[in-house]
Amino acid sequence: MMGWIDQNEFLIGSTLTVFLLAISIQIPLRLGVISFASIGYYAIGGYGTAILMTQYDVSTWTSVVVASMAAAVVATLLGLIISRLNGLYLAMATVSFSLLLSAIAVNGGSVTGGAVGLFGVIGDITIWHTAGIAVVIIFLVSFTERGKLSRRIDATREDSQLASAMGINVTAYRRLSFPISGLIGGLAGALAVNLKTAINPESVNFTLVVLALTIIIIGGQASWIGALAGSLFFVWLPEILVFVGEWEEVVYGTLVVFAAVLVPGGVVGVFNDWRHRRSVARERPKVALLEAAAGESDAELTQSRSGKDG
Amino acid sequence: MVQDLLNATTLASIYVLFALGMSLVWGTIGILNFAHGSIFMFSAFIAYLVVQQIPLGMPAVIAIAMVSGALIAVAMQYLVFQPIMKKAKNPHAGELQLVIGGIGLSAIPISFAQRSTLSNPFGFSAGTFETQAYTIGGVIITNVMIIILIVGLGLGVGTALWIRNSKKGLALRALGVDPEVSAMMGIDRPKLALATMLYSGALAGLAGALLTYYFNSITSESGDTLLLKAFAIIILGGVGSIFGVILGSFILAFAEFAVLLYTNGSWVTAVSFGLLFLILLIRPQGILGKKEVRRT
Amino acid sequence: METSEATKAPTYDYEPVAEARGVAVHYGGIKAVDGVSLGLRPGNISGILGPNGSGKTTLLGALTRMVQLTRGSVWCQGQNYSQVKSDRVITLGISRTFQTVRLLPERTVWDNIILSTDVVFKRQGDKVEGLVKEAIARTGLEGLEKARPDELSYGMQRRVEIARAIAVQPRLLFLDEPTAGMSRKERTDISALMRSLRSEGLTQLIVEHDVGMMVETCDYLYAMNFGSLIAEGTPPVVVRDAAVQEAYLGKHGRHDA
Repeated sequence: MMGWIDQNEFLIGSTLTVFLLAISIQIPLRLGVISFASIGYYAIGGYGTAILMTQYDVSTWTSVVVASMAAAVVATLLGLIISRLNGLYLAMATVSFSLLLSAIAVNGGSVTGGAVGLFGVIGDITIWHTAGIAVVIIFLVSFTERGKLSRRIDATREDSQLASAMGINVTAYRRLSFPISGLIGGLAGALAVNLKTAINPESVNFTLVVLALTIIIIGGQASWIGALAGSLFFVWLPEILVFVGEWEEVVYGTLVVFAAVLVPGGVVGVFNDWRHRRSVARERPKVALLEAAAGESDAELTQSRSGKDG
Repeated sequence: MVQDLLNATTLASIYVLFALGMSLVWGTIGILNFAHGSIFMFSAFIAYLVVQQIPLGMPAVIAIAMVSGALIAVAMQYLVFQPIMKKAKNPHAGELQLVIGGIGLSAIPISFAQRSTLSNPFGFSAGTFETQAYTIGGVIITNVMIIILIVGLGLGVGTALWIRNSKKGLALRALGVDPEVSAMMGIDRPKLALATMLYSGALAGLAGALLTYYFNSITSESGDTLLLKAFAIIILGGVGSIFGVILGSFILAFAEFAVLLYTNGSWVTAVSFGLLFLILLIRPQGILGKKEVRRT
Repeated sequence: METSEATKAPTYDYEPVAEARGVAVHYGGIKAVDGVSLGLRPGNISGILGPNGSGKTTLLGALTRMVQLTRGSVWCQGQNYSQVKSDRVITLGISRTFQTVRLLPERTVWDNIILSTDVVFKRQGDKVEGLVKEAIARTGLEGLEKARPDELSYGMQRRVEIARAIAVQPRLLFLDEPTAGMSRKERTDISALMRSLRSEGLTQLIVEHDVGMMVETCDYLYAMNFGSLIAEGTPPVVVRDAAVQEAYLGKHGRHDA
């Protein structure tokens, strides 16, 4: 077991950092905010850590914490200044935010290393540290997926107008998602730069957003389990199937299209539907009886139903 | 100086051709098509593959690219976007699925082109068309530029007038304002949506072929760069406004030239994001856009 | 501002549960609602009648703060709530249903109903459960708690919405086309439910274009057209009003469902 972990340390590390990035996109997404800003947070976390460690000799953990906090602060400000926008307009604003940051990375001279980027980021973060951080975040995120809070989050996403008519402060929830998303996205970048020991503008461009979004869509938007399943799938699949490695983009693109058209809830959504159906299967006849007893079915429905049964 | 203005105007005309179809699709049937850049690139790529086999002239190359673009766009609409819209539980959920579907779609042709060209630029040099340059009063203008200027501005203004004045244009605008009302007006939404996508795809193909002639070659990734610029153009002008697309294209093209002249060239790509971000903060409905009209 | 509104305030010979004072909602050049004043009688079922596009749902939106007022003000229990955010309206005791079914598709009936109840009654878990159970019983949804909305018929889905709206124990209930698309039997049931809620003192306002149902159920009617009130009074008076007949009843083509 330990041997296997040592052998695959890089892939495991990649899975975990990609997972954190996916969570950073998933949190606003669960509230109905399509935000591509996570890539920007990732860049701030990654570049911030690299600059502090290689240019100012700051210790590894201090760098990681400072850079992640910086991402959270920037995210909070971004959330405030774009709070007037919603839907696709907000999505566009976050795309331009992330791409502006990558333009800054290219043009940052010796600070960001220009097109070459920064390298030689060698700290003392092990795979166990990264795994520990991921577990803590899973633990915290899982609280938002149960009970009252999850209900309110669902309502905010599915129908924000309805949510606010139900007394849910939609603006507050959405605004709060920014610093959280920023912190986790920054952390993902900071840990990734330690894993890869280098960062360059190429590694923080739009392709990364597409990957993270793909992961969430395939895995499922509603739960961290979806983000984890998607991360495992996308990091390991090309390793296992060489064919997939060669045609990576085509396979991903096709999968994403299929998921978008056929299973909007992702793998986790399919599983939940199945579980729900199984749990009500026993009660289904009862439901039909109750409905009939209530005598509510309108004429058309009754017709179509009797047509099916008959 | 005159040369720069001319070059910027030519670039603006290309932007118009690219962004026009996208804006039309977004403003009327409500799809922000992330795959528009790939349609653009792949139409030119198909024309390139044909030209490699048969040396064709410009009209034939453009026709191939336009037909390819139209077919790809219609296929996307029919196989992906339409099913998503039909299934969506609410318009908002549909919005995200459409964005994601578009992102997924765009990856497929790009990857094919990349593998087949080994990520090298491709062009129509095997064709019979020759670029000719004319010098008029110290200003150099090529025959390609003349075609781009005429086609770009002509189609831009023509489409805008058509949308504004024709009966079909009215139906399209009704679709953009309120799908429910337009359904009551007896508009066949899926059919009109398909027609809009067809037009948009043909325009993307046209832009792809003309841009390839203009720059002599493009790469598999050219579409993505333009896609992001088109976001800026459409939002600058105002979603749903075709004159807005023309205005936005000119603003972006001239801003990029100004940045190119006065600073280090590597900031040029940032101009579009910068403008996009600014306009969203100051006036999200765009320069010519109206605030959302809603009525029950 | 406050005083000028106050001077404009009409006087009623009763204490209105909620009031619109000169409410106008304009979208650009379109005047969806244009200067409507009304005061809802306590313990009554009031109704707003009007053809499609007459502005009745927009007026409901204004009264629930879901659309911005261009002019005028809205009042509840003597308090001007024109600046209150839409998510605070429910805490004023104002609850509503919608023109179309708006339920969370992936959630059970129970979850959909408890959604607003546990927001309004924070940290009162036992009370919340009791209220939800009561609302389920009132609307005849017992046994369906675990079903998802898409497993219910349309009529049942609308009941879930009503259950959600009454579980928060509102002082005032707005119903936006509560019987649209329902069978005759279902309409009668909903109408009976509304009357039984009235007998317990719940003030209600219904927006509808089904004249028969309105006359049957309401104590007081308002008629709207082109964003303005064109008549008000008891149902027999309003349906016989010349302006109402002209604007609404005369044009059968305009009040289809």
